[in-house]
Amino acid sequence: MTPKRLLQAIALPVFMLFLIQVSFAQERTVKGKVNSATGTPLQGVSVQVKGTRNGTTTNTNGEYSINVPGANSVLVFSSVGFASQEITVGSQTDVSVTLAESSEKLSDIVVVGYGTQKKREVTSAITTVKAENFNKGNISDVAQLLAGKVAGLSVTRAGGDPNQGFVLRLRGLSTIGVNTQPLVVLDGQVGADLNTVDPNDIKSIDVLKDGSAAAIYGTRGSQGVIIITTNNGKTGTSQVTYNGSATLESPVKFTQHMTAAEFRALGKGTDYGSTTDWNKEITRTAFSQMHNLNFSGGNSQTTYNASINYRNSEGVAITTGFQQLNGRLNLTQKALKDKLVFNINMAATRRKSSIGFRDAFKYATIYNPTAPVHSKDPLYDLTGGGYFEANLVDYSNPVAMLEQNSNNAELQRINFSGSAEYEIIHGLKFLVRYAQQTSSNYAAAYLPIDAFISRNYLVGVTGFGRHGYAYRQDDENFNQLYENTLTYDHKFDKLQLQALGGYSYQDFVNQGYGAQGGNFATDAAADNFSAALDFQNGIGTVTSYKNASKLVAFFGRVNLNWDNIAFLSASIRREGSTVFGENNKWGNFPAVSAGVDVKRIVDVPWASNLKLRASYGITGALPPQPYLSLAWYNQTGVYYAGGGQYLQAYGNTQNANPDLRWEKKNEFDLGLDFTVLNSRLYGTFDYFDRKTNDLIFYVAVPSPPNLAPNEWKNIGQLSNSGFEAQVNYDVVKNRQWSWTTGVTYTHYHIVLTKLDESLKGSYVGATNLGTPGQEATQLTRAVEGEPIGILWGYKFVGFDANGRYLFDDGTGKGVTSDKSPPRGIIGNGLPKFEWGWNNTFKFKQWDLGFFLRGAVGHELINTFRAFYENPQIASSYNVVNTKYFNPNLNDAQIYSSYDVEKATFVKLDNATLGYNLAIKKGSMIRSFRIYLTGQNLFTITNYTGVDPEVRYQDVDGNVLAPGIDRRETWVYTRSFTLGVNFGF
Amino acid sequence: MKPITITKASVLALALMVGACTKLDEAPLLYGTVTEDNFGKTDAEIAALVGNAYTPLYGFGGNNHMIPLNEVTTDEMVVPQRGADWGDGGHWVRLQTHTYVATDPTPNNGWNFCYSGITTCNKLLITLGNSTSPNAAAYISELKCLRAIYYYWLLDLFGNVPIVVDFSDTKPPAKSDRSAVYAFVEKELTDNVKDLPIYGPEDGNHYGRVTRYVAYAALAKLYLNAGTYTGTPQWQKAIDMCDTIINSGKYKLAPNYSDNFVRLNTGSPEFIWAVPYDGVHAKGFNMCMMTLSYLNQSTYNINAQPWNGFATIQEFYQSYIDPVQNPGPQGQVVGLDPAGDSVTGTLDKRMQNNFLVGPQYASDGSRLADGGADVTDPDGPPLTFTPYINELFPTAWRQSGARISKWNFYKGMLQDMDNDWAIFRYADILLTKAEATARQNNNWNDPVTLAIVNQIRTEHGGVDPFASLTPATFLAERAREMFAETFRRQDMIRFGIYNNAWRFHTADADTHVNIFPIPETQLNANPNLTQNPGY
Repeated sequence: MTPKRLLQAIALPVFMLFLIQVSFAQERTVKGKVNSATGTPLQGVSVQVKGTRNGTTTNTNGEYSINVPGANSVLVFSSVGFASQEITVGSQTDVSVTLAESSEKLSDIVVVGYGTQKKREVTSAITTVKAENFNKGNISDVAQLLAGKVAGLSVTRAGGDPNQGFVLRLRGLSTIGVNTQPLVVLDGQVGADLNTVDPNDIKSIDVLKDGSAAAIYGTRGSQGVIIITTNNGKTGTSQVTYNGSATLESPVKFTQHMTAAEFRALGKGTDYGSTTDWNKEITRTAFSQMHNLNFSGGNSQTTYNASINYRNSEGVAITTGFQQLNGRLNLTQKALKDKLVFNINMAATRRKSSIGFRDAFKYATIYNPTAPVHSKDPLYDLTGGGYFEANLVDYSNPVAMLEQNSNNAELQRINFSGSAEYEIIHGLKFLVRYAQQTSSNYAAAYLPIDAFISRNYLVGVTGFGRHGYAYRQDDENFNQLYENTLTYDHKFDKLQLQALGGYSYQDFVNQGYGAQGGNFATDAAADNFSAALDFQNGIGTVTSYKNASKLVAFFGRVNLNWDNIAFLSASIRREGSTVFGENNKWGNFPAVSAGVDVKRIVDVPWASNLKLRASYGITGALPPQPYLSLAWYNQTGVYYAGGGQYLQAYGNTQNANPDLRWEKKNEFDLGLDFTVLNSRLYGTFDYFDRKTNDLIFYVAVPSPPNLAPNEWKNIGQLSNSGFEAQVNYDVVKNRQWSWTTGVTYTHYHIVLTKLDESLKGSYVGATNLGTPGQEATQLTRAVEGEPIGILWGYKFVGFDANGRYLFDDGTGKGVTSDKSPPRGIIGNGLPKFEWGWNNTFKFKQWDLGFFLRGAVGHELINTFRAFYENPQIASSYNVVNTKYFNPNLNDAQIYSSYDVEKATFVKLDNATLGYNLAIKKGSMIRSFRIYLTGQNLFTITNYTGVDPEVRYQDVDGNVLAPGIDRRETWVYTRSFTLGVNFGF
Repeated sequence: MKPITITKASVLALALMVGACTKLDEAPLLYGTVTEDNFGKTDAEIAALVGNAYTPLYGFGGNNHMIPLNEVTTDEMVVPQRGADWGDGGHWVRLQTHTYVATDPTPNNGWNFCYSGITTCNKLLITLGNSTSPNAAAYISELKCLRAIYYYWLLDLFGNVPIVVDFSDTKPPAKSDRSAVYAFVEKELTDNVKDLPIYGPEDGNHYGRVTRYVAYAALAKLYLNAGTYTGTPQWQKAIDMCDTIINSGKYKLAPNYSDNFVRLNTGSPEFIWAVPYDGVHAKGFNMCMMTLSYLNQSTYNINAQPWNGFATIQEFYQSYIDPVQNPGPQGQVVGLDPAGDSVTGTLDKRMQNNFLVGPQYASDGSRLADGGADVTDPDGPPLTFTPYINELFPTAWRQSGARISKWNFYKGMLQDMDNDWAIFRYADILLTKAEATARQNNNWNDPVTLAIVNQIRTEHGGVDPFASLTPATFLAERAREMFAETFRRQDMIRFGIYNNAWRFHTADADTHVNIFPIPETQLNANPNLTQNPGY
């Protein structure tokens, strides 16, 4: 330790010693009564002398008595569910107040990075969602809890595949790299997996939206931060809770295609004489169940919360689904007169998924509707499996596909986190935290001996005669976190200070191996690779990998609160990562934010709170993998050394990029938090403007001079500005019934403002229509100066007399495709705005909530139409026939704006009817609730595909290619869930 | 708590932070990642790096660049669109109709094939220049010639391309004129050829490497096409290069044409330069996948289902069986009508080697039948390959087209074949000499020319010698011998018929299609490139 650092180390605590307050005053007693607006006495209202620790609570009659130091004393009345009030005592000895009810509770605790703040003190854009406001129903992913609850946060999954994750997007896009999902912090564990925790175990979720809130997480904050707080036990309680639900889920809509009768009438394809509805054959009404048992309680020293969660979900596609068991234990132990607090959180999850094959719905759409499911005719029973099969490209009996083959994954997650916090002096706390997360995934697929193997089942496997084919891939991701923080909270007269300093170390190790091979004597040996002759024959493949990286950071923050009038927060994180070029390993991520409670400066009679806030912060984004700045060698094949001997050749597969540096996002946010009209109208407005510089992306570079034709580079700048609103209104609120309605509104505009000089005129991140045969058909582009989300192609203007497509030749005149019409911008995959509308009604023991949401102005490329809406393809495939189908079309399948559709939609996302049993005092039962939830009850849209949901990214994760409705999308489903919550 | 204790505690706390790890060196975290710091030091490692300059060649016999660019654009090979199969956005059809565009994948594959080899050579020349290895000097000459051959292919395919020779120059390069690229290739080969070791076709440790006669063969091909590349023919130089190879006595015609193409063809006496393929170790030769029907998987018990794509065009097939074009012994062959009936025709051993036609059987002898056969195909479900192809697109019958069996298929074949691929073959050098001599002497009946053509016809084809030749009959003979070996495009251009009409190709409006467009991917990645004229 250098002398300078030593001095700093000593100076801080010494300084703090001077801060101990001494006060001299004359004490007297004040009494009074607290009532609600309806005149009911309020019990348990906290009455506190402001600026002191002196406080009491009201009794059952709403009465209190408290000693105050003098006439200048201010009493603060606060209670959950009510707007707090402050009254200067003066000469009064009886201070009685009426508290207005509030749904927006200013004293609520908001979890921020490395700490908490009261809601009134928060100066950045943070939204808290508590468990009681979570979405309900058939929830299989934590992300679902938040859908529509947070302005600016989009949670989407097109189709109803229970094994597919959700895409989360906060304020659109601000990085184009791989880490476009928000950072998750679970009980202090930075970078935890969102689904380490079961939805039942979450107490609240805080979403840090702007740059200043996220900047304390430095290099990983650019996409926002989601902080999850799990349930903890409460002192003096002992509770058991059971939650259970059962769900029925069924397909809502399939891709429109010809029936067997229509296909026969068309007369262009082979009529095999049967009538099969392939979609019906591969789907079912799926049954799912969830059970959760929770134990919590504690005494003054120890609190605990333990829970077990079991989920068994079926997918609507036959043979698909998952089973998951999750256990969690949170333990808090206090020691040394409560100065030392230990915390241990442990969670373990095991999930077994039967994934099926995502091409099944594609094949169900295009499989010949006159073909039978089963056949014993050797002309069609090609592999002796008893199913009808035909040798056509990208074509497979979808029933056989799902019934014969298996595609499973077993996921195991173990999280451990422990912390110890010691209060050195009052307000000064030192915390040590260690956490680790291990995620292991064991994927296995098997294609049995009598299966007909289409080329899309598994990469690199085609045809029959493989005598069975097995695939295994085991991956483990491990990370451990070590953090120290020193926090100091103190109040200097009217100034409340919160200071934080910390160090963080995290390392990540990923490793795994995979193998695939076939040629088994029996399907019974499927899990035993030593029985696969492919390996003896040298054509089985084995892969393995291991990589690692480290993050190291120092951070600090000061929060100031001047008399609840003005608030200031400033923070900085200096963070370094091993993954960058030698000269650019470290980055600084500062932030500052300030707010002022207007209501406390000027009297606004109709408002109970008006807080104006502004913030600025810099955050970063990490590239997707380590070693990207280094020149790699990789095995590139073999070379011949003569005499039948082949040896391994090595070549550079990655160019050196020692200049690779942090991607940095600068964000300005202006916000207004308000509570007005007798506390019945409350909400938040936010305007933001963000610029992301040095975007990291994998781009084509000229070769020569480069060895590898692609490279990770810092390539440009992204600008994103937008507006968010979240407003709630208590329309009715009395003891019998209440109605609260609320809207969220999100709008943003993202432009690729700059692109590296070397990429001028280029389009990064383009993607194509895909196999079969449209691999060179570009669908999307990112162009400098243009918004993100461009859909690119010919502009369709009509059909000519011969049934050929006509495309705009640039002058508005229609020409056929052989005249090389120009391609251009034909749509945008991102919405102009998104909205949600929540309603909650309560009547005595009943409650009813429904949630509508929509996205406006986005377009989708309907790839089913782009491939199959053409009578000419009937010699191979069934024909898609939406309202756009032209039976006279006589042209090749050519993708154009004709396949791009407006996809604005409204969905009744969720509706829940609940009944809470009135529990008599002294009953064994603490609470009982029963509810019925319907999800996706209706959708209004003009889009002809199965699901008009916004596709924020392509199926391969390419975020510059939104707006593509791929053929792999599952059908859209509707579900009904009956559930109970039972507390005793 | 006493102030002193507080201080101690705080000091301890801060010490924990300040003294913590701040090292961000990536070297200890590399695991299996091989970098320049930890590789390329020993002779074996350098050999592994030099080997990488050759690995692009394993793409030679595949469906990605050389075969489609040089064969599917011509009158001897086609990839018809068979319904939904091989539509592929029309780019296979565009090769045949000479309407290829800059966004098509095949030219880009060809570009990357050449330049990946070139940049690897450039990088290695720096590495070897700094190396103290005793092998370094020999490697440098070899790599310069190999690089020149990659440039020869670029010269042939794209004409005007950037010449990049220094890896340390990181500027995106600009294009050179076709004549400058020609001059560069000529100079590099002639400057370095004498430093290359002399090895024959035998399977030694230089098999598959650029040896002295490989460089001479490349020069022979360069000079043969010099008129195309620069406007100035170099017939005598072409003859000289061929003579150097012929007079070495290291090569001779294989007794049987098929010896060059069978599975175990390694070290064939005709191989001047071969790609030593292996179905397990050295993959990339997937002609079986490219051409065979899906159902032929059970003919050869292949470990994958073939793609039913590449086929020959019926007029080209006819040039073997037609007794007028190709006089020789007559017998029963598959004819040209849509059902593929048996007719009397010339029995050229090369025809029997090069094409798979007629009824198809499983390995157990049972007749193959295709439940998905086209409704209009007169053959119905029983699988029968006919030389007749009903149309180029959109619905060529699944069974139509003679399949390319030049590199002989074998039972138990993997999707990558074991047969080696001759890039330069002795018969081609002989025919090059024959043509250059005829053109130099302006006499297609020059005795040297006639002798070579008839030697090949009788020894390889088992057909009758020609009494006289014309440019057209010479080229037809050259095509019968060299079918599918990626020379047809440059041959047709040299003979001025690449832009003529044939069955699936209407005459080109102009000759800009004789070189391919610079791929759009490359134009976008390198702002200093400009598109070839006419695109």
